[in-house]
Amino acid sequence: MEREKILEVRDLTVNFHTYAGIVQAVRGVSFDLYKGETLAIVGESGSGKSVTVKSLMGLLGGTARVEKGTAMYQGQNLLALDEKGWEKIRSREIAMIFQDPLSSLNPIMKIGRQIEEIFTILHKTSRAEAKKRSLELMRAVGIPEPEKRYNQYPFHFSGGMRQRIVIAIALASNPKIMICDEPTTALDVTIQAQVLSLLGEMQRNHDLSTIFITHDLGVVAHVADRVAVMYAGKIVEYGTAEDIFYDPRHPYTWSLMASMPDMDLESGEALVALQGTPPNMLVPPEGDAFAERNPWALKLDFDRQPPMFKISDTHYAATWLLHPSAPKMQRPAALERRIQKSIARKEARANG
Amino acid sequence: MLKYIIQRIIAAFCTFVVVVVVVFFVLHFMPGEILDLSPKIDRSVRELIMAKYHLNEPLIVQFGYTMRDYLRLDFGYSLKVRPGVPVMNVVLERLPVTIQLNYFSAIVILPFGMIFGILMAVKKDTIFDHISSTIVILLISVPSFVLAALMQYILGFKLEWFPLILEAEPHLTWTKFYSMIMPILALSFGGIASIARTLRAEMAEVLTMDFMMLAKAKGLTYRQTLLRHALRNSCVPLASTFLYLFLGVLSSSLVIEQIFGVPGLSKTMMAAINGHDHWLTMGIVIFYCFIGLFMAILADLSYGVVDPRIRMGGKKDE
Ligand SMILES: Nc1ncnc2c1ncn2[C@@H]1O[C@H](COP(=O)(O)OP(=O)(O)O)[C@@H](O)[C@H]1O
Ligand SMILES: [Mg+2]
Repeated sequence: MEREKILEVRDLTVNFHTYAGIVQAVRGVSFDLYKGETLAIVGESGSGKSVTVKSLMGLLGGTARVEKGTAMYQGQNLLALDEKGWEKIRSREIAMIFQDPLSSLNPIMKIGRQIEEIFTILHKTSRAEAKKRSLELMRAVGIPEPEKRYNQYPFHFSGGMRQRIVIAIALASNPKIMICDEPTTALDVTIQAQVLSLLGEMQRNHDLSTIFITHDLGVVAHVADRVAVMYAGKIVEYGTAEDIFYDPRHPYTWSLMASMPDMDLESGEALVALQGTPPNMLVPPEGDAFAERNPWALKLDFDRQPPMFKISDTHYAATWLLHPSAPKMQRPAALERRIQKSIARKEARANG
Repeated sequence: MLKYIIQRIIAAFCTFVVVVVVVFFVLHFMPGEILDLSPKIDRSVRELIMAKYHLNEPLIVQFGYTMRDYLRLDFGYSLKVRPGVPVMNVVLERLPVTIQLNYFSAIVILPFGMIFGILMAVKKDTIFDHISSTIVILLISVPSFVLAALMQYILGFKLEWFPLILEAEPHLTWTKFYSMIMPILALSFGGIASIARTLRAEMAEVLTMDFMMLAKAKGLTYRQTLLRHALRNSCVPLASTFLYLFLGVLSSSLVIEQIFGVPGLSKTMMAAINGHDHWLTMGIVIFYCFIGLFMAILADLSYGVVDPRIRMGGKKDE
């Protein structure tokens, strides 16, 4: 079934013009967001995930410049909007949940007021109506005793409760697209699960299309329909969740999967954990940015950047390994075994 | 919070006592007689006064008597500047003139300081910001009496735009107000500059905070994020800056009043010091000291008024 595209990003390129020079944070990113689906963007910290989504809401700071690219939403190119145009998009069409709930609420404003101002200021409702709807939202995101909580300040709330408030704020204007930028990274594991399930519930109830950013593939497995793996400002592998989890093709994706904690290893087997750090984006390498850290790197990787190779209609990866004349490389054995196990599990589930 | 207030009040009281003691002894150790020896004063009258004020007793005993009177809120009588008038009355009589000047400059300082501060924060690192920051540093470092003298010379004497000294009319008429403009400005520039500087620093920091990004992501306009979020959060330290500033204005005005011939407390205090009118001097010093400590306590409490985290002691109930 062909789904309807709600957002189509093409060749998004963002540079920061700093005193030290030009930081190439995002280098030609393209992806589609389908209606009702969740697209996960995965990658180490510093790979350009936040910059990518901030540019979709016009939230980049003064030194950032969108050099190239389009982001088509309902027939208009978001990247060409001016500040007036963004004001119509933000919150009404696209809402965002940030990583750190401890700092994303105004510390000296009552919780209720922070939700309520969306209704009174953006939608021009009366105070009474705004309060009623804010309380409904607080109840919906699972805040106990909302009437009492309404008049409290953020410091009265735990991290998980604050993130629920941020979710309530994101939902207040009934957006079509919800961007979650590492919404659970700053939370305890148990709270993470609660917030994730709340997000899932809200997505279903409000028919949201979601972009979900994380550096944790384990989380992706639970939420994503489609996955974009990002490295050094580029998408290196892109496909449905099945494509990525059952048939990963890019060595970077292999490394990410290998560093997932519940990897079952046989004795004596080395874990292919990632070595080194991502490149400095002030002077990105000439060839494949991952080559330095890539145990499977070819000589070509150091000289030329690989294009996106098509594996199937939904699955793409940017690695020279996919070139027809490249030597055939095997995925690491431990990873392969694990993939086979999860495929078997899936089939067992499908068969009853 | 209550404990904190009580601590502050006790500390303020101790400061107050120290100031009173020091001022008392400094004044009494000054060379010169409290009663001059002019033969005009009848010997018996002299004796009477000496007895009443215990001037024959050792200094330490005099100090004891004075403190006893102060505890009864009896501030004594002026001896020479306004012979026989209770110190309290002299202060209360002169105060309005001084206060009038001070509150006018407070009214000028706050809005202008805030407007410049906001503009500088919003336009941080632009030419506007660089130029304003330089002017701000200049205004903060140049004492107000230098500004006052300069203004008096240029605007008053050379250009003749404003009268050189304050109009003597007792009521606030237009001509009186017009003559007050220069002293008010002289008192205000430094304050405007420090409010602007505090607000610029604070607001520039607040503008980079995460919750400002959320405010923007909520769909608020730039102006709304500034007014509803950034400004209020930047004002947490502003309230106390302003109160301390008002203290600064109060003390600068002691000098400014001299320059512009304002018949306020400053003039009375100078006369009292020069004439060894110790009770009057003490009275005025005590008055300033009280106002000063009171403002300092208010300044500390103001953090709590603006910031609920401090007011509520940061306790979580979860
Ligand atoms: N304001 C900024 N100025 C300069 N460089 C920035 C700025 N914000 C982000 N970057 C750079 O852009 C790159 C991508 O950052 P980001 O999108 O935040 O990564 P992440 O994937 O962790 O969200 C990083 O190399 C970072 O150093
Ligand atoms: Mg990030």
